[in-house]
Amino acid sequence: MSERYSFSLTTFSPSGKLVQIEYAIAAVAAGAPSIGIKSKTGVVLAAEKKTKSILYDDTTITKMEMITKHCGMTYSGMGPDFRLLVRNARKIAQQYFMKYNEEIPVSQLVQRVANVMQEYTHSGGVRPFGVSLLVAGFDQETPYLVQCDPSGAYFAWKATAMGKNHVNGKTFLEKRYNADLELEDAVHTAILTLKEGFEGQMTEDNIEIGICTGDGFRKLNRTEIKDYLAALN
Amino acid sequence: MVSLAVDNMLVGKDEPKGFLFENCRRNAFMAKQGVTLPKARSTGTTIVGVIFNEGVVLGADTRATGGSIVCDLNCEKIHYIADNVYCCGAGTAADTEFTTRMVSSKMELLKLRTGREGRVISALRMLKQYLFRYQGHVSAALVLGGVDVTGPALYTVYPHGSTDKLPYVTMGSGSLAAMSVFEDGYKVGMNEEEAKKLVRDAIRAGIVNDLGSGSNVDITVIKQGSVQQFRPYEVICKKSERQGDYTFPAGTTAVKSSHDMVPFSALRVTDEEVMEIS
Amino acid sequence: MSILEYNGASIVAMKGKNCVAIAADKRLGIRFQTVSCDFQKIFPMGKKLFIGLPGLATDVQTFANELKFHTNLYNLSESREISPKVFLSMVSNFLYQRRFGPYFIEPVIAGLDPKTDEPFIASTDLIGCPMVTDDFVVAGTCLEQLYGMCETLYKPDMQPDELFECISQSLLNAQDRDAYSGWGGVVYVIEPNKITKRELKARMD
Repeated sequence: MSERYSFSLTTFSPSGKLVQIEYAIAAVAAGAPSIGIKSKTGVVLAAEKKTKSILYDDTTITKMEMITKHCGMTYSGMGPDFRLLVRNARKIAQQYFMKYNEEIPVSQLVQRVANVMQEYTHSGGVRPFGVSLLVAGFDQETPYLVQCDPSGAYFAWKATAMGKNHVNGKTFLEKRYNADLELEDAVHTAILTLKEGFEGQMTEDNIEIGICTGDGFRKLNRTEIKDYLAALN
Repeated sequence: MVSLAVDNMLVGKDEPKGFLFENCRRNAFMAKQGVTLPKARSTGTTIVGVIFNEGVVLGADTRATGGSIVCDLNCEKIHYIADNVYCCGAGTAADTEFTTRMVSSKMELLKLRTGREGRVISALRMLKQYLFRYQGHVSAALVLGGVDVTGPALYTVYPHGSTDKLPYVTMGSGSLAAMSVFEDGYKVGMNEEEAKKLVRDAIRAGIVNDLGSGSNVDITVIKQGSVQQFRPYEVICKKSERQGDYTFPAGTTAVKSSHDMVPFSALRVTDEEVMEIS
Repeated sequence: MSILEYNGASIVAMKGKNCVAIAADKRLGIRFQTVSCDFQKIFPMGKKLFIGLPGLATDVQTFANELKFHTNLYNLSESREISPKVFLSMVSNFLYQRRFGPYFIEPVIAGLDPKTDEPFIASTDLIGCPMVTDDFVVAGTCLEQLYGMCETLYKPDMQPDELFECISQSLLNAQDRDAYSGWGGVVYVIEPNKITKRELKARMD
């Protein structure tokens, strides 16, 4: 019954804007930063997971999730919204595999996840997602780095920064990026970019790094991150 | 209630989930008219599993039958469920194939969600709940085996959803032959080689004594942190060598082989069309 | 009588060296009465991909249309040609969805991979159990005869011309011993750079 009264929150303003989406993008811009860099041999994702209080048990907080063997995802914005999209993405990937007996190509996965996000911009009784996704993938010998916005728009990057300080991050990356980057260098650059706007001491406990190569997606463990951080100092 | 059919959105409206029954009325009507409805391909099958001191050995024959015709000489009956869980299937071939594929997918999601390796018992639950729901109409008889944090585990699942947990199990039409070998030769705490040998003997008993089973022995050994697949482990009944050669000369229609076994009228092409692929 | 024999059909596919062939008879009948001797049973699903559908004629056409719809959709949304392996998976999924109310067809698939030109043949039963083989697959009303012919004539690594002779002779001699199928034959030989379609002369009784 109530469906009759539940109209979309996302309605056009007289000037032709969908302000709800703009607010959602503002929520993303206020979120913790995340970085993605594509190298010749793989993709690097890096994300900040700083907690507001030292009392949090930060070993339980994750900002980066595996979707399929060859695909992982991180975000800037609202954590709980990310959870839902991760669940959706995994299900989409599994459904694709069940149907075609072939791993889902990154382009298809991104498109379908973006479709879900787009659907939430013109459906009744819902609000747009307060996250932008950064998807790292690898299929058919090609690395992919794609961003999905709350509007449902998606675009591929060579390197990008999202969330707080993303403008500075991007400027930094524009200076640092070149197409011949090796994976190791890309990890370093990602950490440096994250460091740009980082308040306080960066440790293996408050950042996360994921890499996606031909062998698949995996998150670096704390010792590996520690080694990278040590190499930078 | 605000209902946003997420499932619908994901799958798309033109891709229905689950089984479709749109042909059922027509098919039932045709059956009433006196035509017999065809049977699906089945795996007569001998499948077995046994626990040894380090893990589980699963075994299967490789014959698929459609009625009395052998459709597939070398079909794969040991299905992947997860990296540490495998499942042998007997019954209607499509049912075992799709049921195990579905559970494999659910186990993958479970692994991603929980961040740790799935347990054999989880797969067992999914299988039995699914099969029970279909009241035996999904005719999959399974041997499920694997190794998880609790150690090796081995189960049988019947098409109606009942299950057994035993140290050595057999299933399929050759199960009696195979079980006789197990009852005779099973020992507690066998090593890997003994277990493989026993499984091979059990499957062989099925292959030679049961008409629904044939060809090769496939074996999968699952231990903590490792899986070894032998496909085939042993060829029990080799395809016989062909005695004659019945090659037709390419491009001609005249008889080359003087063998009278293959009488054929001259092959004449009445129409030929060559399509170029750009 | 089985509903699969109502209209009559026999289809065979074979793998050669870097090529595959698929062949079918041409008869459409209603039990013993022949209605047509130019009935399409092999359908192109990609540039180098064919499916043969023996079984109940109404289901043959419905299913072929449905498959074409979905392969087109796949090709568009993925901007690439569907591979035979993926196509097989799609076919078996469609059939298994109708597990409890099946289409009465037993598909045979033959094709080359659009990227690697790897030969591929496969078949499924009427509820979609996939079977991929390395030599030949057969289906239809003279399945037994076709198995006999193929087991006798088939050898691995045939060149396209040999393959054509082999599959044609298998089909013709098998269908001559089957009342339900025959009345002509059609053979597609699929090679990396060309497909040859040949109509065969056969007994018309």
